[in-house]
Amino acid sequence: MKLILSTSNIMSGGLSVIRRPTFEKSNTELTSSLHANFASHQSIIPPSTPANGASTPKPSYRSWTVQQDGALWIPTHTSSPLTEPRESYDITLKLFYLPNIPADRRCVQTREAIQLVLKELGASSIDLLIVSFPGMSFDADDDDSDLDDPPSAPDSEHDHDLHGTEGAPEDIDTIITTWRTLEKLHAEGLVSKLGIAEFGVSRLEKFLPQIDVKPSVNQINVRDCCVVPKPLILYAKQQNIELLTHNDCTNVLPRGTLREILGSGEKGVGILAGENDSSGDELRGDVEPQWVVKYTAVVKDRGVVESKGYFAVAELRD
Amino acid sequence: MGLLALGTPLEWPEAKKVASQVRAWGIEQLLSIWENAKGKERDALLWGDEIEYLVVCYDENNRKVRLSLRQADILAALASDEKLLAEGGGVPDVQRGPVKETDMTAPVFHPEFGRFMLEATPGKPWGIGFKDLLSVEPDMKWRRTIAKDHMAKEEYPITLTTFPHLGLPDCIVPSYLVSGPKLRSQFVPDEIANPHIRFPTLAANIRWRRGRKVELNVPVFKDEKTVWPFQDPTVNYDLHQWPEDDDVRNGAAKENHIYMDAMAFGMGSCCLQITFQAKNIEEGRKMYDQLSPLGPILLALTAATPIYKGFLADTDVRWNQISRAVDDRTPEELGEKPLKHDRWRLPKSRYASNSTYISQDARLRPEYLDPDLIVDQDIKKRLAEGGMDDLLATHFAHLFIRDPIVVFAEDLETLDLSKADHFENLQSTNWQHMRFKPPPPGSDMGWRVEFRPMEIQITDFENAAFSIFIVLITRAILSYNLNFYIPIARVSENMETAHIRDAVSSQKFWFRKDPFSPHSSSRGGNGTGTSTPAETSRPATPVGPVEDEYEQMTINEVINGQHQGGESNFPGLIPLVESYLNSMNVDVETRCELARYLDLIRKRADGTYWTAAKWIRHFVQTHEMYKGDSVVGDDICFDLVKAAERITKEEGRDGFAGEMLGKRR
Repeated sequence: MKLILSTSNIMSGGLSVIRRPTFEKSNTELTSSLHANFASHQSIIPPSTPANGASTPKPSYRSWTVQQDGALWIPTHTSSPLTEPRESYDITLKLFYLPNIPADRRCVQTREAIQLVLKELGASSIDLLIVSFPGMSFDADDDDSDLDDPPSAPDSEHDHDLHGTEGAPEDIDTIITTWRTLEKLHAEGLVSKLGIAEFGVSRLEKFLPQIDVKPSVNQINVRDCCVVPKPLILYAKQQNIELLTHNDCTNVLPRGTLREILGSGEKGVGILAGENDSSGDELRGDVEPQWVVKYTAVVKDRGVVESKGYFAVAELRD
Repeated sequence: MGLLALGTPLEWPEAKKVASQVRAWGIEQLLSIWENAKGKERDALLWGDEIEYLVVCYDENNRKVRLSLRQADILAALASDEKLLAEGGGVPDVQRGPVKETDMTAPVFHPEFGRFMLEATPGKPWGIGFKDLLSVEPDMKWRRTIAKDHMAKEEYPITLTTFPHLGLPDCIVPSYLVSGPKLRSQFVPDEIANPHIRFPTLAANIRWRRGRKVELNVPVFKDEKTVWPFQDPTVNYDLHQWPEDDDVRNGAAKENHIYMDAMAFGMGSCCLQITFQAKNIEEGRKMYDQLSPLGPILLALTAATPIYKGFLADTDVRWNQISRAVDDRTPEELGEKPLKHDRWRLPKSRYASNSTYISQDARLRPEYLDPDLIVDQDIKKRLAEGGMDDLLATHFAHLFIRDPIVVFAEDLETLDLSKADHFENLQSTNWQHMRFKPPPPGSDMGWRVEFRPMEIQITDFENAAFSIFIVLITRAILSYNLNFYIPIARVSENMETAHIRDAVSSQKFWFRKDPFSPHSSSRGGNGTGTSTPAETSRPATPVGPVEDEYEQMTINEVINGQHQGGESNFPGLIPLVESYLNSMNVDVETRCELARYLDLIRKRADGTYWTAAKWIRHFVQTHEMYKGDSVVGDDICFDLVKAAERITKEEGRDGFAGEMLGKRR
């Protein structure tokens, strides 16, 4: 069964995410806003017994999720369309392809992700789609340094995530294949601009000659953006690619994290059955995160983020 | 300084007679503006900053620095500079060039109250484009360069809040005699003020209404060798030219205080003010309320005023001195005499911290408001009849408890509803730390909010940093729908706290613990879309006592966040801004530049870098000519102003003033 997790608009709520600001790249924004959205949906259900000091059991997930067309929406989702005319906004999507998911699913996944967001925002196209390939991260310290070395330093883009076992860096052929899908979306007018994340100079040099629609944006994660290597800045300028900053981690939703969120443990919401649970209607099986999309809609001439949120999709297999 | 209409100004006894008429007409003009503009929608964010300079004049041979009174000459030179005009700049009151659609428009210059002052603003407003943000600092530097280019060789536009020797003998050039008919000051001549008739009339009528001279007593800093108790040695008790000369004999100069007696000591201070255009009236009202509690924090953080009239003061900021310099309250209004002729006791000067909130926001609890707020009930009634809601009517009926100070006879002939002169007469002489500005009639401008508490900084790097920080804070407030409400009385209390020497490191300020609204999944959008006030209301959530919502925090905690304790930690204004920036598409170069600005503010707040006030104190106290007696002598003053010029030019890159600016590239 497919599981569709959503955060709703995380700008409007009391977000625990900014309570603990972190300048390290992290996925706490996703996980804590999922927690917050689940919690607020659970709390809408009135407790069945008056509180008398005893801990009330968690409400059954059936009461705050909905099953529809073979997918379980966690929580039950109502879209919140943008309030101003479409042209007032810049809509950016960042799609995280996750490790160990066959690349041939990406065509379908990309369309699915875009459709979910378009429906959420009540829009018919997006301005910028940034894709993040699994296992890649950018390290300014290792990449072509900002010393005056020739840009022949070894390609050192590699995964620094703690979950390094979840996949090696994506090879360039798979990236190109995926890109063909994105080029189609671009041709259809569904997406105005395309973007990539964590590409260093050497990867860009391999990538650009093989594609038709060039990325307009390369998003890089640098703790101190003042140390972006000069060769990359020059190369990007030359290629007309805008270098943007971000603070996401590449493996934004590891399998273990998802299990914990959905599980029956202390931090979970009781959708997946625990190992020793024998009763109840909790779901059983292996949960496999497929992709995550982050969307933001910014009112252009006011710089106000009106909507921001995540959808995460996973497969539950027996 | 508001509108510069020409005409015949009424002397106070005449102006007083027509005060009610001016108020009534001002209210009709306000209603007309409000009726026309209340439905204005979807205005872009436009914003502007104002930089104010002191024009100093060096006398190198005598190691003496004075204030130059050549404002008019400098403005005339600017207004007739063909190149500047061609680039769109100039002096709007006289002549300026055309605003450029695409290119940079050259800056524009304005007169200020002090004849030794100059104000400069960008040639056209800034937007929110990140490239615009990066243009601010170069533009500020451009302004100073242009200003300097139109000055004499020995003059320089300096951004100290106050001139350290203002009010001492031989502090201005050219020299004039003190004790003139308008100011009647024993320290500064009437010529200290801009000669435009509005300004001397303002000063004279404030004094006249008040019944004596304005009275500024700043506590003196007690150093090791300060004579104690301190009697301001510069006070002359033997003047007999004006009735007001009796003031000091009646105890106007307080023991252990530096005493000053003229509007110029306050209105001659330089500040850094930022004005924002809001999307609509609702957003404007929300920004007004949410920025209000930040005022005292930013005042303390920008502290730069440790010297008055040649003495080290025991306070760090200018605010209360300006407040007293334009305090027109009568003895009855001040509570010194029983109410007989006047209408009410007034707890605050017309220059003071905000006294009320104005947003139709469900989060605005009645407990935050001042139950004793003084309002003119007749005016409030008229505004309500005109359809204005209670909160906004209360705000304006509060501003309109004051008398108009400068009234031109010509303006009283007919009421012109297509103008705003009578409304502005009161609006622009209510100097609160925020100002809510209706659109000028006949313009396509939107509703605006002005943030007024910040002190000017010595370098344009710092001025740009604070301006941009405030802009980014407003974007975070609107994006996250942040809630900074605390009782307005606590904001006023914080304003006092901000005066304390080194408040930035030594004091705590009332601040709201949780800036987030309760999570509500049923709500669509965050209220940026339409102007329907109803949309901000949501199902009533149970609320606890107001006192539990806020606590005392250090500036460091407010700016950088609370790091101990549990979930209820205040996240900090800088992390909120960082979080906002992380949600935006920002290019690396811009982010790097913004990081420099945010880093300055972060480190000012945590004490790593010093405020200008602390740096100036340290400069004085370690100067070889300083005798440990709180006196800032000629040599120190000269070297200090020279040092400020050097800091302005080098910004710490030469290793000087690193305590204030850090290691600059």
